[in-house]
Amino acid sequence: MRALRRAILAMGVGTVVAAILRLRGSGGVPPRQGKWRQLSGPDFR
Amino acid sequence: MHGFVRQLMDVDIEVIAPGPLPTADVTVLAQPPGGHTELAEEALGNGSHVVSLSDALNDVEGLLKLEELAAKADRSVIVGAAFSPGLSCLLARHGAKQFDRVDEVHVARMGTGGPSCQRQLHHARTQEAVEWRNSGWVKRPSGTGRELVWFPDPLGASDCYRAALVDPLLLSASFPEADRITAKVAATRRDRLTAWLPMMRRPHKDGGPGAVRIEIRGIQDSVQTTEVLGAIDHPSSVAGAVSAIAAEWSLLGVLPPGAWSLGMLDNPLPWLQELENRGISAAVYEGISGT
Repeated sequence: MRALRRAILAMGVGTVVAAILRLRGSGGVPPRQGKWRQLSGPDFR
Repeated sequence: MHGFVRQLMDVDIEVIAPGPLPTADVTVLAQPPGGHTELAEEALGNGSHVVSLSDALNDVEGLLKLEELAAKADRSVIVGAAFSPGLSCLLARHGAKQFDRVDEVHVARMGTGGPSCQRQLHHARTQEAVEWRNSGWVKRPSGTGRELVWFPDPLGASDCYRAALVDPLLLSASFPEADRITAKVAATRRDRLTAWLPMMRRPHKDGGPGAVRIEIRGIQDSVQTTEVLGAIDHPSSVAGAVSAIAAEWSLLGVLPPGAWSLGMLDNPLPWLQELENRGISAAVYEGISGT
């Protein structure tokens, strides 16, 4: 019974750690200078 | 499907349920992914051109293998005529034209079309991603490789991850010398958390606005250069327009025979100009876009 409880506890902790690792962070914000310009003209430039 | 039908004003269209294909000049395979290869073979047997919108790896690999059969029948099998693949491949080809040598092509996508597109993406998030690296294919786990990507405004920045996307497969033929060809898709935390579970709720009728962003790195006039192209629109509308153009031009007999994708075209310009005529425009990023 004790072994079963320990196994369930280990699985629970593992799940929480895996979820944190999988979902952590947002990627940060990189430097960005510029803008989008619509392509146009005969050469589509 | 509705977007596609709206694009074809003067063409008789028969929308059929799965079953034996009728004889037609062009067969557009717009059903959910899976089984496109078998249907394309049947359509070719009927003397029909084929336009497939599938973005599933199995379908795309099978359709490309129909090259010999299609060339022999003097018919076109146009693979991945949708948003991504489709418009993404056109933009990659167009952006690469000014390079002397292309080293890397990176495709990023945000958004989905209809319900089957959403189901396919949900499935793709759990399958192995395929990337082109140093003249060979490597498999990577989906959900990895996080990268913050700036899509055209107003969608802006979103974290993108690997998934089983077909763009590298369709672009590798045009860029065999490239070191890397990759594709990623935007995902939220909920997308990533629930990727391994069945879809929790019924998909929306339409996924809403989406975007593609193509980053090309290479040598231009002996200088290392990066070109970034993008487009923002409803993926379902773009898929309808691209497949409608493919169907119309197949009817006119102006497309080459064989099995090919829009990423394999020598000149994507007529396609992009026709899309612009239909209200779907592309953009180029000017400035520094650290990703």
